Amino acid sequence: MDVLAYLDPGSGSMILQILAGGVAAVAVTARLYWNRILKFLRIRKDDEVVEPKQQGQTDSA
Amino acid sequence: MSPSQTETSPPPEASQLEPGSFRDPESRVFYAGEGVYRALSEEGLSDFKALRETKLFERFTGDGRLVATELLEGADAADGLLAKGSAGILRHERIPFVSYPYEWPFSMLKDAALLQLDLNLAALEEDMILKDSTPYNVQFKGARPVFVDIGSFERLREGEPWVGYRQFCMLYLYPLLLQAVKGVAPHALLRGAIDGITPTQMRGMVSFRDRFRKGFYLNVFLHAKLEARHGDRGKEVKAEVRKAGFKKELIVANVARMRKLVKGLEWSPPEGVWVAYGERNSYTDEDARRKDEFVREMSTSQRWGLTWDIGANNGRYSRIAAEGSDYVLAVDADQGPVELFYRSMREEGDEKTLSLTMNLADPSPGLGWRGLERKSLPDRGAPDLVLALALIHHVAIAANVPVREFVTWLASLGTSLVIEFPTREDPMVRKLLGPKREGLHPDYERETFERELTGAFDVERRERLKSGTRLLYFARPKGAGRPIDLTAAEG
Repeated sequence: MDVLAYLDPGSGSMILQILAGGVAAVAVTARLYWNRILKFLRIRKDDEVVEPKQQGQTDSA
Repeated sequence: MSPSQTETSPPPEASQLEPGSFRDPESRVFYAGEGVYRALSEEGLSDFKALRETKLFERFTGDGRLVATELLEGADAADGLLAKGSAGILRHERIPFVSYPYEWPFSMLKDAALLQLDLNLAALEEDMILKDSTPYNVQFKGARPVFVDIGSFERLREGEPWVGYRQFCMLYLYPLLLQAVKGVAPHALLRGAIDGITPTQMRGMVSFRDRFRKGFYLNVFLHAKLEARHGDRGKEVKAEVRKAGFKKELIVANVARMRKLVKGLEWSPPEGVWVAYGERNSYTDEDARRKDEFVREMSTSQRWGLTWDIGANNGRYSRIAAEGSDYVLAVDADQGPVELFYRSMREEGDEKTLSLTMNLADPSPGLGWRGLERKSLPDRGAPDLVLALALIHHVAIAANVPVREFVTWLASLGTSLVIEFPTREDPMVRKLLGPKREGLHPDYERETFERELTGAFDVERRERLKSGTRLLYFARPKGAGRPIDLTAAEG
């Protein structure tokens, strides 16, 4: 994700939004931690996570 | 001005940049003549065009919650206005008098916060979002909040979080929580830091017990903790968040949750303020009646543009002044009566009396980059008429400002003046002098005051109220009035 905003969203603030999102956040939270587990177990490499994936027009602006 | 109307006339040549509008690289406000304009970059312009097509744009500009705006077709902005180059110009409706969150009583900040959140929810419904969350983007027309930063709307990008969440906490939520839950007025903190209170600072100001209060655990405790843990992992966290699939529904859930929290926050002034507020609104003794008449006579003797009522208290005289003025600024150092006055005006749907809390002996200075982003009060618009009723003894005795300094300052505003002077025998003056050493404030005498006043103004009227300890004066700037002789016997 390319956060293009002039304002820094804050790393902690972004994670908090995932944790605080209630029902809407359950799946996202699960994925966030699942990815971390995979990373921890070295099933997935760090750079796999970091590398930005093309997301259609959304990242092109 | 109709919200979506377009016009072809370009803004006049001579323009002046708004020094408080440079943070967002996509838009920049400037003034030309009486007009307020906004230059937009290419991205900014396409975001505006997308906004103009939304239902929210029509709905919120229709009821005045969003500043009236039109796109000037074919107008060019001066070169160098925006680093990215300017692609279009908007013209905005002008707000009569600019104010800042560190001057608002609790309910004004809360109303601005709710407007911010409502706009964000409406924007999200149409796949747009507000890119920031600063209360400096809200202004008041009387007691009605207006969102003025059209440049804040942008098209929602898939996978992005609510970028303005942290800023919302720092400039809206924490100040509101401090006032509502801790009873601490946040004005000095907001004035002290243009970006507001950080999560870590807020965490340091609350107690362990507070984590069980609504909204505190997530927005303060956990927020500060996550910030400390992940503060230097910006890039990784962004990637993680994207990978986890941040969805619009999540932003909507967070904004809606925040709205519920803010809506539930309440603060009321201490009981004594309520009692005094009610009393002063209903007292009927001869002095009060006569004072009302004097103020009414002077403030309706001609049509005034902007009137400042300094030391406005419950706004009794602001209401009277509003009968003869285009716009009234009611200022008082005590947040309590200002809060109650704002609530009354809001209930009445008032759009011409702006109520602010500010200590005149320590007024809002120029702040931000080069001290120009936020302006001092006189820099935002000089008054045509000033009411300074039951004020000078507070300034001269309680705040130790010499009488001459105070009168000179009033004269520097170039304004006409209705001023009240309570003599040393007045009960309130005696109370203020009580704890002071004998012989202090020798300049607080009627003769000294009148000498200073006639030196700086043309005094046209003087009247002593029946109780004998209060005098009222009406004066015009030096050279603009027909002065009377104050040394002659009272008439």
